[in-house]
Amino acid sequence: MSSPIEKIMVYIDGTEQSVTAAQYAICLASFSGAELVAQYVINTRAVEDLLRASIFLKEEQVEYEHDMEADAERYLNYVNELALKKGITITKRQSRGSVNKEIADAVAELQIDLLVIGELSRIRSRRDEFYDETERAMRSVSCSVLIVKDEDKVWEMYQSLV
Amino acid sequence: MALIGLISEKIIKTPLVSTDKPDVLRELVQILADAGEIDNYDAVLNAIQDREDKQSTGLEQGIAVPHGKTEAVSTLKLAIGIAPQGIDFNSMDGQPSKLFFLLVASPGQAGPHVAALAEIAKLARSKAFCNALINAASPHEVVELMTGE
Repeated sequence: MSSPIEKIMVYIDGTEQSVTAAQYAICLASFSGAELVAQYVINTRAVEDLLRASIFLKEEQVEYEHDMEADAERYLNYVNELALKKGITITKRQSRGSVNKEIADAVAELQIDLLVIGELSRIRSRRDEFYDETERAMRSVSCSVLIVKDEDKVWEMYQSLV
Repeated sequence: MALIGLISEKIIKTPLVSTDKPDVLRELVQILADAGEIDNYDAVLNAIQDREDKQSTGLEQGIAVPHGKTEAVSTLKLAIGIAPQGIDFNSMDGQPSKLFFLLVASPGQAGPHVAALAEIAKLARSKAFCNALINAASPHEVVELMTGE
């Protein structure tokens, strides 16, 4: 029987939680020999919503999309460095659109076996307005999902990886 | 990070004491300073003021979303202020603003900043919920309303 996890995707969104998720995913890839993909979504859907709601000016739309592109590059390069230090190769991917849809589409397209995401907020709201895009993606993807918690423990695990 | 993860009683003030736009911006930034969320009051106020100078972030139906970017913060910061009496904020519909969401982020955190603003935009569409927040008697009640407890 082949390994049940051959392709892992870690979702990077510019938060510390997603960097911790990347450290955990690197450990998992090292232990399992699975291929590792890091995905960043430039949330152009949200920026368009903000323009429509008049919270953003047109110039802000352009500026924030540019900032998110720079963030994507920087965070993907950072997790790539984290992986290379442990001898792991990462495929970096970035796309534009709705976070939930882009993650689900990437999982399907690349036939991902496991999606790794950072810790979700511990405070929950029953109000629909406060849904978390990553939480939505977790519910809609076709593969299994792993939520990474305890950044100190994960950092120790990553550090101890040879 | 979802917006809800930023909400706590210490970053909420009701009622605000300000009666005009310059003062309410200062009072909102002071909420963050008093909560220990920011060290550089002036840098945060300048970032917010710079954006307001381009166009007011006062929306319709009494909601305002002052926001900005500055290196003075390392993570996303939120302050909520409520002025049931309403404050002239040069809003889109000309009506006084009552519910203020101030959001400030590091320039290197555009993704979380945009995601949080998008949640506020969704919230602003719910008139009944915004009215409930405006009429909340305390920060504790605001937190309860937001978490749905």
